[in-house]
Amino acid sequence: MPRSAQSGHGADIATAFYERSGGAAYGVSAEQFAAILDEILRKYLPDNLAQSSTLNSAPASAEQKTDFCAGLRLEELTLARACAAGNERAWQDFISRYRQKLHSMALHITRDGAHAAELADSLFADLYGVNARDGIRSSKLVFYTGRGSLEGWLRTVMAQEFINRYRKQKRTVSLEEQTEEGVQFAAAVPEPACTSDRLSERRLEAAIDEALAELSSEDRFTLASYYLDGRTLAEIARPLGLHESSVSRRLDRLATGLRKRILAGLRAQGMSHAQATEALETDVRDMGLNLRSRLTQDPGATTFPGSRKVPAQDAGGGNNDLQKP
Amino acid sequence: MTEVPKIVYDRLRAAGSERALPMRTGPELVHPDANLLTAFAEQALSVTEREGVLAHLALCADCRDVVAMALPAAETVAAPIESGGEAVPATAVPKTERNWLTATKFAWPSLRWAVLAAGIAVVASVLLLRPGKLNQAIPPSANPQVAITTPSASGPQIASSAPPSSPTAPSPTNQSALSSKAEELQAKSELAPSKKLKAGQMVTPSHQAERGMLLAENKKDSGPAAMLSPAPAAGAPAFDAATSRGATETVEVSAAAVETTSSAEGSLMAQNESQPVIKSKPALPGVEVSEQQTTGAAVVVAAPARSQSKDIMSNAKLAAPASSNIARNVTWTIAAGALQRSLDGGQSWQNTLHADHPLLCYASHDNDVWTGGQAGTLFHSADSGVTWVQVQPSIKDQKLSFDVTHIGMHGPAEIVVSTSNNEIWSSADSGKTWDKK
Repeated sequence: MPRSAQSGHGADIATAFYERSGGAAYGVSAEQFAAILDEILRKYLPDNLAQSSTLNSAPASAEQKTDFCAGLRLEELTLARACAAGNERAWQDFISRYRQKLHSMALHITRDGAHAAELADSLFADLYGVNARDGIRSSKLVFYTGRGSLEGWLRTVMAQEFINRYRKQKRTVSLEEQTEEGVQFAAAVPEPACTSDRLSERRLEAAIDEALAELSSEDRFTLASYYLDGRTLAEIARPLGLHESSVSRRLDRLATGLRKRILAGLRAQGMSHAQATEALETDVRDMGLNLRSRLTQDPGATTFPGSRKVPAQDAGGGNNDLQKP
Repeated sequence: MTEVPKIVYDRLRAAGSERALPMRTGPELVHPDANLLTAFAEQALSVTEREGVLAHLALCADCRDVVAMALPAAETVAAPIESGGEAVPATAVPKTERNWLTATKFAWPSLRWAVLAAGIAVVASVLLLRPGKLNQAIPPSANPQVAITTPSASGPQIASSAPPSSPTAPSPTNQSALSSKAEELQAKSELAPSKKLKAGQMVTPSHQAERGMLLAENKKDSGPAAMLSPAPAAGAPAFDAATSRGATETVEVSAAAVETTSSAEGSLMAQNESQPVIKSKPALPGVEVSEQQTTGAAVVVAAPARSQSKDIMSNAKLAAPASSNIARNVTWTIAAGALQRSLDGGQSWQNTLHADHPLLCYASHDNDVWTGGQAGTLFHSADSGVTWVQVQPSIKDQKLSFDVTHIGMHGPAEIVVSTSNNEIWSSADSGKTWDKK
């Protein structure tokens, strides 16, 4: 069993949590459990910055590691890893708990019975590990680390899979189909008529960028979710752990604050209050004549079922597949 | 909702565009894996990690889509089991409630104006009809007069209009205790007490009009004669009217509404022995239904009061078969993430509750049963598992969202819930209000 340099701490921690994980019932030995925890600790709490592969790059103390492990879904973690290792009892438990749910999750995501069955079956095959590498079954469950619930992880993996499929499907749509759907092809982006207009627009963009940069990540996430993705207040509130009314108030506050900051930014660039207000209010994009968004057809900006995005312009969805778990 | 200029949309979108991203450096460029996105959605990340994920999500529309799609369905469908043991597919009651509210034009957007209008009407009628007597209590001598006159003249009508015409109606405490709909009715019939006191009669044109509105509209042809009919005859159409407003909902009166109504009716109802309408003690759902069916006049008052109830418990209440034969010796257990019940000392078990998330623990006290599970799942049954109500403990902006690992009951109404992240939620009123430690 491979042990890393930090397995001194890891072994102690693993011993403390092994019983709680219920790994023995699924044939996961204490050593195997220690190796699993060690791998997860190295991924999320590296001992040194060079090992950092995550968003959290600070070296972790033994207490932090213990706290971190205490927050893991250890029982679900051992279930997933035992399934990945091919334990029969683990698979029975997994199937009784999640097989039916996979279908309802898929139906929730695709909102179409046929696609839901296909998506759920495909994911289940990936979880079982039908693809063998070097004669060893490769189950997707080996990527589960217990950070959130196993059910939530399954939903997330399924959503990623659905989005990847959707995008691939969109890429292969024929021109005839696109024409039938009324898609027009991209035209050159119209430049503003004169230099002064262009200058004014650049000032405005700079002021907005500055105002947006001053916002917290959570505020920008809230704005993007509501105004770009068309998410409901409830959809925004749930991952943030807030009530819908709090999100509503926050959006009002953000919209008002943004307006003030943008106007202040424009005034700082030498505009009078009247000019700044006019520049913000009379922007051609506010008149619903955003020619650029109408003429620019970016396949990455197309909406997924369930979202009501505003017409896209310069959409930055990107074409790279989402990172696999 | 305040709108932002469209150009702000463009700049928000441009910040996450492919052209802008290469100019950025930092962890927000890395797509968080499914584990981090799941933990983010379940609020299980550390502050640093959460900030990093949020920074990425603010830029990445795809990951925002993943997070939104991966959210569990909002409406948890719990399947109460009949005594026979077969699961009955239950519909999500909140949806039914919503449809009912929308269909019957009692949706909040229009109702709030009705509440405002009712308030204005109360003030206006008091000012117009009782100038200079705002702070005076009704002479106590008037009450016996009403109480004595009423049963002999038109008993059934007193019952139907009891709350609005109650001698204690002008009391601010009682008014605040009533729901907004009941308040509206009270406001419209505010004329009645003064006229009654002057004329010594209970039946006034305003009451007939009021009652005509309360009763089902298809009873118009019955007219005043029907209203003067004896109590059972008058009760039946009143019950129809109440039930016709919500065809799919369980006919019941919440405990709060019953208490309010009975206290508002006060001495008037108490002295009318021919109308033993509502008892303030809560009863089993089945018993409640039967009581209302035989005492329809009270339902006319209680139903609107209930419709405005803010009690989330009643909103989530699931319709279930009335079972008057609930065993006292119930044994509970958790198996395969479901709550099971045995009525024969453990010889046979029935699945009683199977929620969206696996259940992990339970606690029971007489007929009160609480069970909790993953992702903040918490259910309560006050009738030994015949009906279940999903409870969402919350304080201000915080909700219970972690796994419920232990439930303790220190009495029929005192609940202590422990979660996997060492939170302790407690309630001293059967889950209506919560404290968090």
